[in-house]
Amino acid sequence: MKQQSRTLRLLVALLGTLALVATACGPTGPTGGGTAAPDEKPVAGGRLIEGSFSDIKTMNPMLVADVPSSTVTGKIYDTLFSADPKNGELKPNLGKWTISSDSLTYNWEIDPKANWSDGKPVTGEDYLTALKLVALSKLTVRKSNFQDIEGWKDFVDAKATTISGVKVDSTDPKKFSVKFAKVFCPALVNAFGSSAGPMPTHVFGKYTAAGQADAIDKAPENTAPTVASGPYVFKEWRKGDQVILTKNASYFKGAPLIDEYVYKIVADATVLAAQLKTGELNYGTVEPKDLADMEAQQNLKVFKYQALSYTYIGWNVKSTTAPALQDKRVRQALAYGLDMDAVVKSILFGQGTKMVAHHPPASWAAPGAGLNQYPYDKAKAEDLLKTAGYTKGADGVYAKEGKPIEFSIVANSGNKTRETLLQVATEQYKAIGVKVNPKLEAFETMVDKLTTGNQEIQGWIIGWSLGLEPDPYGIWHSTQIPNPAAKTTGFNFGAFTNADFDKAIETGRSGNCSQAERKKNYETFNKILNEEQPYMFGFSPNTLLVTPQNLRAIDPGTFSATWNLEKWWFKQ
Amino acid sequence: MATTTADIAAVSPVSVPSRRASAGLWSDAWYRLKKDRLTMASIAVLVLLILLSAAAPLFEEHVFKFKFAQQDLLGAYAKPQLEKPEYLLGSDEIGRSQVVRLLYGGQISLLVGFLAAFIQLTIGVSLGLIAGYKRGLVDDAITFFITVLNSIPTLFLLLIITALFSPGPLTLIVILGLIGWTGITLFVRGQTFALREREFVTAARTVGASGSRIMLKHILPNVLPFIFILAAIDVGGIILVESALSYLGIGILPPTPSWGNMLSNAAGYFNLAWWLVVSPGVMIFLTVLCLYLIGDGLRDALDPRLRGAS
Amino acid sequence: MRTYVIRRLLYAIPTLVAIATITFLITRLAPGDPIRLFTFGATDLTREDIEALRAAHGLDKSLPEQFALYIVNAAQLKFGNSILYHKDAMSLVLERLPNTLTLAVTALVLQLVIGVPLGVLAAVNRGKWIDNAVRFFGVIGHAVPAFWFGLMLIIIFSVTLRWLPSQGVLTVGKDVWDIGDRLKHLIMPAFVLALAGIANYSRYLRTETLDVIRQDYIRTAEAKGLASKTVFMVHALRNALIPVVTALGGVLAFLISGALVIEQVFTWPGVGQFTYAAARQKDYPVITAGVMLGGMLLVLSYLIRDIAYAVVDPRIKVK
Repeated sequence: MKQQSRTLRLLVALLGTLALVATACGPTGPTGGGTAAPDEKPVAGGRLIEGSFSDIKTMNPMLVADVPSSTVTGKIYDTLFSADPKNGELKPNLGKWTISSDSLTYNWEIDPKANWSDGKPVTGEDYLTALKLVALSKLTVRKSNFQDIEGWKDFVDAKATTISGVKVDSTDPKKFSVKFAKVFCPALVNAFGSSAGPMPTHVFGKYTAAGQADAIDKAPENTAPTVASGPYVFKEWRKGDQVILTKNASYFKGAPLIDEYVYKIVADATVLAAQLKTGELNYGTVEPKDLADMEAQQNLKVFKYQALSYTYIGWNVKSTTAPALQDKRVRQALAYGLDMDAVVKSILFGQGTKMVAHHPPASWAAPGAGLNQYPYDKAKAEDLLKTAGYTKGADGVYAKEGKPIEFSIVANSGNKTRETLLQVATEQYKAIGVKVNPKLEAFETMVDKLTTGNQEIQGWIIGWSLGLEPDPYGIWHSTQIPNPAAKTTGFNFGAFTNADFDKAIETGRSGNCSQAERKKNYETFNKILNEEQPYMFGFSPNTLLVTPQNLRAIDPGTFSATWNLEKWWFKQ
Repeated sequence: MATTTADIAAVSPVSVPSRRASAGLWSDAWYRLKKDRLTMASIAVLVLLILLSAAAPLFEEHVFKFKFAQQDLLGAYAKPQLEKPEYLLGSDEIGRSQVVRLLYGGQISLLVGFLAAFIQLTIGVSLGLIAGYKRGLVDDAITFFITVLNSIPTLFLLLIITALFSPGPLTLIVILGLIGWTGITLFVRGQTFALREREFVTAARTVGASGSRIMLKHILPNVLPFIFILAAIDVGGIILVESALSYLGIGILPPTPSWGNMLSNAAGYFNLAWWLVVSPGVMIFLTVLCLYLIGDGLRDALDPRLRGAS
Repeated sequence: MRTYVIRRLLYAIPTLVAIATITFLITRLAPGDPIRLFTFGATDLTREDIEALRAAHGLDKSLPEQFALYIVNAAQLKFGNSILYHKDAMSLVLERLPNTLTLAVTALVLQLVIGVPLGVLAAVNRGKWIDNAVRFFGVIGHAVPAFWFGLMLIIIFSVTLRWLPSQGVLTVGKDVWDIGDRLKHLIMPAFVLALAGIANYSRYLRTETLDVIRQDYIRTAEAKGLASKTVFMVHALRNALIPVVTALGGVLAFLISGALVIEQVFTWPGVGQFTYAAARQKDYPVITAGVMLGGMLLVLSYLIRDIAYAVVDPRIKVK
């Protein structure tokens, strides 16, 4: 689960993240993959200028915790594996791997052509360096990714000088193996992903020496990387304005054709769309309201593909102030009573898909057919309310024992889509006899109340941005319910829990790690969610990526838009 | 927003020789004010704006027949027109009536302006009187506190407080009131300094009047006319600040309409409906302009040493 | 004179301490937790990780303990590491100071260069149309909401006419020393920031110049036979400028404050915009660093103003 983006105004959290999503079903954008006509010869040159609402914070993968930093850092430091853009399947990138039969040891071999931009080869030692840096840093949030590696704890506690579970082959420095203490399915993504890309030992090694403690946190190379393993090398960071990268001529997959990559800060979605039109920017995602405008531009093309995220209305299923929400039938009624297709059509201009369970359609863990799609049905909704023991009062609101079905839904201000969803929900629920009090709050306040389990919250609208790893433990397991009494925080805000449910999550992450087996657990998991409806699962939006017509070879998908960045070129 | 003391530095409570037989400070002032057409016009416009905003529910009900929260997705981005009275000034991205929202927005903006100014004046005048009259340690403490507050850029402080605390409208009024009384205090303090040396104050003291009695009954009435000038400028300043905060997304939050947040909303799609950016800005501008002109006019009326007059 | 300066400097110290204390209280008393906000959505984190991060920023200690540490560090101008950027907060803020100063100084120059002559011009041509025009502008220039004015300028000059860029400091691909490009980016925000000041100064100078015109010594100078123009230049302006000097201190305060909103409208990467973004994300170290920097600049400017005032007008006796 990736970090939620934190842009300031007109948050484009759902759409603007170039989160890695694939289209599991259906074709992509109108002009296909921007593939060149067979007789077009790629030429070098040009500058790719990407627009963003927020400045980067760092360029050290282990400190990255926001989308802008991740976008730029990902172009400088390559990772061991990459994901297929369309279906998210993990493929070799910097290295290829095999897993031992007991699923505890991963054997890696780094690509012989993989070098740092200064010519030194990328080796297994570089992976070990990356891990040591994470272990030594005090400011990273990635430590738990590696906790199951043998010898990790000892190194963190300074009882050992290296991590015993990571062994670099003495005969071939490009080969290394990593042994885990227990089976943990998300480990492949967590321990070998973007937070653990190899780091140049010849640059960062000095920070792992004895007595360095957390010196890595202050390293100047964190904001001015000197070498790169990715397609672009850092050149300059004009704070608050733009980040400039130049091409890495010795990139192992071939030198990029586009000379420079610039990451430019703009004020908001309106300015971004305007600059895409004028050509000041030539790469950016837009909101659905700008889609028609973008498609009308002759010199631009739009790629539409599913995002690996969704926006939903959550219910506090243990709420004592809104007891109606405790009843599954009421929640199901609320699912039937909201015309999500109409919402997608009008608010998203059709650029989205209705959701009825946790994993979005693009994810491999997404549920198969057979789930209740909860088509919009006012009559059915009201029937369910009646079955639950409610009767319609004279004021048109259903009530039981004198208590009407009434609750508040809160959304964060500054996000037009969520604000509109809130208004539409209020109106439509009124039509089925449920009284909703809409509230808008600043995002920071909402986050606070949600993560501490503040019982003021009865219903809320927010989104989840998911990553490559579909493990839903952090959001849905019963241990993740925030407890205000014990002052613990967590992301299972609605306090939904169920024994089979917990079990499915647990088996999915520490049982058999083959995709097929894990998928079975997630089927069960999603079925339970689909039936219980602890969320009104809302919609998963499409990413709308805009580039000029003359950008060739670009072929974005749900899980990656820049997987072949080095091959992109501008036709003059 | 803090009134610069330079603005009213030279104003002093001295009665002035005029061209007709002097009948006292107040009636002199009123006479001059009546002749000042610009100021009278400003007062009229301001009163009109206040009445319009106060009557917003009536307009909503009877004239435009369109509620301020009412949406009509089909009528979005309508141009200003006469056929549909509710779209007199156009409609926003979900078809809400701009003119009705402007009227309601006026309620909020004016309310925030006047209430916060009232709080500022209360604090400012009280502290100014106390500091000016008591002098000594009390004065030093108050002056030090003022220096500290003045050394933090006001808007900075406000922005940080509102961003951190995310206050509701009432809390916002209190916060606005609690910051920005410094200019008033400094002015009142200065006036009190001068006044306390006058004979009528010494006389009262001899008779045995208490400090607070002197401050309230003798000094305050002399300072009061100039408080009005400060008040007018103050309200204007607060309205500007509130709209800036709402524009940034931390003042009055939607769906409550405020001229500031209507502007920030409209800025998001001005390429589709630029007229929506114009109307809230014009309203803010008009209101503040009237208030400033009234302040100017009052100053001219009360101290006709011809500061900028003919 | 020297004792005055030293006394003022000493007075500045408790002021700064008070500012630091106020900022600390505001940030710590605000609801919410920066670490929680920062890690929202990162569902692969364990509670231990989050607690460790909180400890790394010193947020796990009790409030009095935090304050003690804070004051000691603040005295050395150390405000801790930014929670978002993982770097020293004050250095991050200082990196953006040149941008804000460029904006503020340009605005100040515009105010003086446009406002002062306008005021004098109006006074000299009292009653004529130019006088009325300047007076009219002087009044409305104050009442225009700055951010709205900036927005309208962007709509007109950037979007419709495409003459000027709407935001940022430099166009992509331009060299850092490209003055022409920098000026194109600077002119709109600086002008918007300067607007209220131009109005202010023009009214001020007009009033002061009118005042001075009536003074006896001017009539004496005229009687002595000096050309009228010289009279004004030499005598009128010098005396009229005294109040201008006094106002300069407060002007810097206004500029730094006002710059914040302008920086937002024009996405100008200055201290104001940076501190505000930090406030939205509860990045305490940066907030305190930014406010302290603003406070220090202001205290310094008031000090300079007071000294300049004492130098320029020796009639003013220091208390």
